[in-house]
Amino acid sequence: MVRYILQRILAMILTLLIILTVAFMVVRLMPGSVFDLDPELSDTAIKAMNAKYHFDQPMIKQYGYFMADVLFHNDWGTSIAMRPNVAVWDILKDRIPVTLKLNLISLFAALPFGLFFGIVAAINKNTLVDHLVSLMVVLFISIPSFIYAAGLQYFVGYKWKWLPLIYDPAAHGWAQFRSMILPMLALSFDPIARVARYLRAELIENINSDYMLLAKAKGLTFRQSIMRHALRNSMVPMMNIIIPMFAEVLSGSLVIESIFAVAGMGGLMVDSINSSDHMLTVAILMFYSLISLITILIVDISYGIVDPRVRMGVKG
Amino acid sequence: MDNDTILSVQDLAVSFRTYSGKVQAVRGVSFDLKKGETLAIVGESGSGKSVTTKAIMGLLAKNATIESGKILFDDHDLVKYKEKDFCKLRGKDISLVFQDPLSALNPIMKIGKQITETLVLREGLSRREAKKKAIELMEMVGIPDPETRYNEYPFQFSGGMRQRIVIAIALASNARILICDEPTTALDVTIQAKILDQIKQIKRDRQLSVIFITHDLGVVANMADRICIMYAGRIVEVGTADEIFYHPAHPYTWALLSSVPDLETKERLMAIPGTPPNMVAPPEGDAFAERNKYALAIDFEQAPPYFRLSDTHYAATWLLHPKAPKVEMPDVLKARIARMRQKAGLDNE
Amino acid sequence: MTFYEDNKELYDSIPAEKFQLVQNNEDIHDAAFRTKPIGFFKDVWLRFIRNKASVIGGIIILIIMVFAAIGPSMNSYTYTEQHTDLANMPPKVPWIAKLNLGIMDGHYTLTKRQYDNIKDTSKYPEGCILKLKNPRIINGVKIVDVVVDYYKYKGLDDSQCYWLGSDYLGRDIWTRLWKGTRISLFIALFSVLCNVIIGVIYGSICGYYGGAVDMVLQRIMEIINAFPRIVVLTLFIMVAGTGMFSLIMAMVIKGWIPIARMIRSQFYRFKGHEYVLASRTMGTNDQKLIFRHILPNSIGPVITQAMMAVPTTIFSESFLAYIGLGLQAPNSSIGVMLSTGQKVLMQYPTQVLYPAIIISLLMICFNLFGDGLRDAFDPTQRGVS
Repeated sequence: MVRYILQRILAMILTLLIILTVAFMVVRLMPGSVFDLDPELSDTAIKAMNAKYHFDQPMIKQYGYFMADVLFHNDWGTSIAMRPNVAVWDILKDRIPVTLKLNLISLFAALPFGLFFGIVAAINKNTLVDHLVSLMVVLFISIPSFIYAAGLQYFVGYKWKWLPLIYDPAAHGWAQFRSMILPMLALSFDPIARVARYLRAELIENINSDYMLLAKAKGLTFRQSIMRHALRNSMVPMMNIIIPMFAEVLSGSLVIESIFAVAGMGGLMVDSINSSDHMLTVAILMFYSLISLITILIVDISYGIVDPRVRMGVKG
Repeated sequence: MDNDTILSVQDLAVSFRTYSGKVQAVRGVSFDLKKGETLAIVGESGSGKSVTTKAIMGLLAKNATIESGKILFDDHDLVKYKEKDFCKLRGKDISLVFQDPLSALNPIMKIGKQITETLVLREGLSRREAKKKAIELMEMVGIPDPETRYNEYPFQFSGGMRQRIVIAIALASNARILICDEPTTALDVTIQAKILDQIKQIKRDRQLSVIFITHDLGVVANMADRICIMYAGRIVEVGTADEIFYHPAHPYTWALLSSVPDLETKERLMAIPGTPPNMVAPPEGDAFAERNKYALAIDFEQAPPYFRLSDTHYAATWLLHPKAPKVEMPDVLKARIARMRQKAGLDNE
Repeated sequence: MTFYEDNKELYDSIPAEKFQLVQNNEDIHDAAFRTKPIGFFKDVWLRFIRNKASVIGGIIILIIMVFAAIGPSMNSYTYTEQHTDLANMPPKVPWIAKLNLGIMDGHYTLTKRQYDNIKDTSKYPEGCILKLKNPRIINGVKIVDVVVDYYKYKGLDDSQCYWLGSDYLGRDIWTRLWKGTRISLFIALFSVLCNVIIGVIYGSICGYYGGAVDMVLQRIMEIINAFPRIVVLTLFIMVAGTGMFSLIMAMVIKGWIPIARMIRSQFYRFKGHEYVLASRTMGTNDQKLIFRHILPNSIGPVITQAMMAVPTTIFSESFLAYIGLGLQAPNSSIGVMLSTGQKVLMQYPTQVLYPAIIISLLMICFNLFGDGLRDAFDPTQRGVS
């Protein structure tokens, strides 16, 4: 088990290095990036740039410096457009907590609803309740989050004035939370539907299984057999879809954050792309890569912990 | 319902709603289970034997309805039972052992917990008492080193061991009736015999009444006191084991007996020709007529009543009617029965 | 239980001729199938049309495709034609306006107008004012909201109208919407087609040759797959630019992997099947084995998976447009329209509404259609997703 975890972590680090290398090449090779020196720059400016980015060195050395800066000094370069001459890391470090807060709350708020709808639909399979849940699932999964965001912002925020239109970074406590409700709603529809659909399918399969028949045959009530057996067993594979969902919610929040002007990574990424602030974009992409690889890692490891068959290394 | 009858099924009819129509899986089945006896119900797949037992346990699927009949147990009619009444009955009065032990246990729950679950939840035993009882049960069904195995998962058990666990679960609450639904079909032949012996042993020790369901007459031979032969949702012949094996009267029983392989038979095995009838629209007369070499004209028009061959032996075939031609069972079978008798006679000496 | 002995007279009254053996000398055979055999695709079709939701989904997709084809040429505007003086016109369809439903009638509410000016025909042409709302006094000036017939307000005659309004450059939204739908659908369908081709070839090679070839190809696939989707899309478009071709390419980088995986597992499943082994022992060559015996089994899952990938791709296109990596002006796509409309959402909500309806319909219908196909191709998978 320990060996397995170490293997996975090593693979994750390698992948991150590869992504970082590709990102370096993209920024380096892209026309019109910071690495193309403007010939009209003054000598001192060029010197400063060379000191920073080592343009006077061959590309392989530039790569070496870049990787060393990132890995050993946590130095991701400086922003050139968004906030000129501010270190990228300094911009990021205020934004990361906001994004994590928004997305984690959205996901965790979505879970109980998704689980509830999934259980209700499975237990009432093929009844009106089930069909209504299925309809909801289709709508929530199909319609993109930014459409919900626009609708919520227009109606709930603008027309009916129930909640703030955009995120309020200056507010504190409840007022700030209120301004986060709309983006959270827009982000949580999809996970609600996915959890509900997956749990419904799993639960129905488990309810029809032989061990459920045995559970009933030995005298458990319907509720006991569902809670102690079917639901418990359905939750094991649920971990596999809930954790990676965090990466999905996070990429959905790129757009949602920019729609609701949330001062997080998503809005920052949209702005950095639109203002060609490439070093910033690369750093943000690395953040998303790291999160998504960590979720995959957690799934790999947690699968072993939850399921005794995998934990003990037996198939069957 | 006389005193030594513990369970009585009367004219039970069960149907299922499906996309292709109403499937009449059980069409008027009646039998009594006596205290301490083993009653075998034999029939091919789809003959309605599992459905009958599920009806007794209240475990029918949602699309099933009990059309008519009674299931009398302790002066209660189980047909009228609600789910919550069944919860009190299952495992405590009547227990069920399944066909497939490989999937009948919850794969991610420890064995011990699966045995003690109802003891703790329903009978209010403390965890320690329940564990003690579970280990006793595991010992009783022949599991070596039960203390260790108590904390293991199903995947660490072999098929035969899992079936023993399922039996232990069935016996946890001292049920009086044990229904075994093809308990050995999914197991290796060598394990089969061991499990069957175990069931016999436990039955004697605990004075259980057993309903034993199987499609395999060979398994029944040394288990059952009485045998019901089922075909297409009806019982076609009932009798003691001796009566069914040595004096079979129904052509379907003949066919079944001829199709069992034994060491002495040199001839080709007799397969039963044709396929069972479609139970959405079962034939009007005798359901077996289509496949029956000895079918009479009346077989296609009217279902036969039961003809009493002895106090314990009935068969539903028009061949027993006084006006019917005297048809004898096939020679192959005759020879076989003679051999069996001879063998049994020799064994007795 | 009915016993003969209980009702002897009744049973004995049956005439003797009924008690005759009727098939004693016949051979009894297994009954032959009485129904005609149904081909695979007919079977799939029959199952598919029974699922009403997916049939309706399919029909709506077709209708949208027809409009995407003919919509842009249904009026005289082109998708690049700008009339900056006629920017942000409200939608107006003459026959809907006559119904007085309050939609698509070219009406618009001008807020915070000075009350004193409303008589001024140079500011408000004759007959354009429909209603005054909300009179109030701000800083001693009387202010009202004026509901106008925006077309008259702009001095247009009755014959000119923008069915779905115009955007911030005065371009006709109807034309741009269908033009954009056409492009979004093209990007989605074409990239899915590329994914299927690459996936089937790659997966077949993995699955058929197995061993070391499979090992190496699998590792390559794993490495590509480890790149988060959003990171791949962004980096690729940063390098390759925001053209239609580079969008399609960006969708293909990771998109073929699920198909390749599925094909590979199908190969592993069917390779060991007796009929394939039998065919191999008779000397069938590789090509024939792949194309005649193994791939046809994968048609169902491939079509289903491809259909399910279409909405994902449509979504990705819009998503990229939102984060600034979509098609560049003056090109139109659903995503481009949504993200430009988003900027004026409060003032002109209809500019988001129409593309939102189209993308939602497309996503819902492709999902329903894909569900229906999956159930039709593989009835055992019903309800599992």
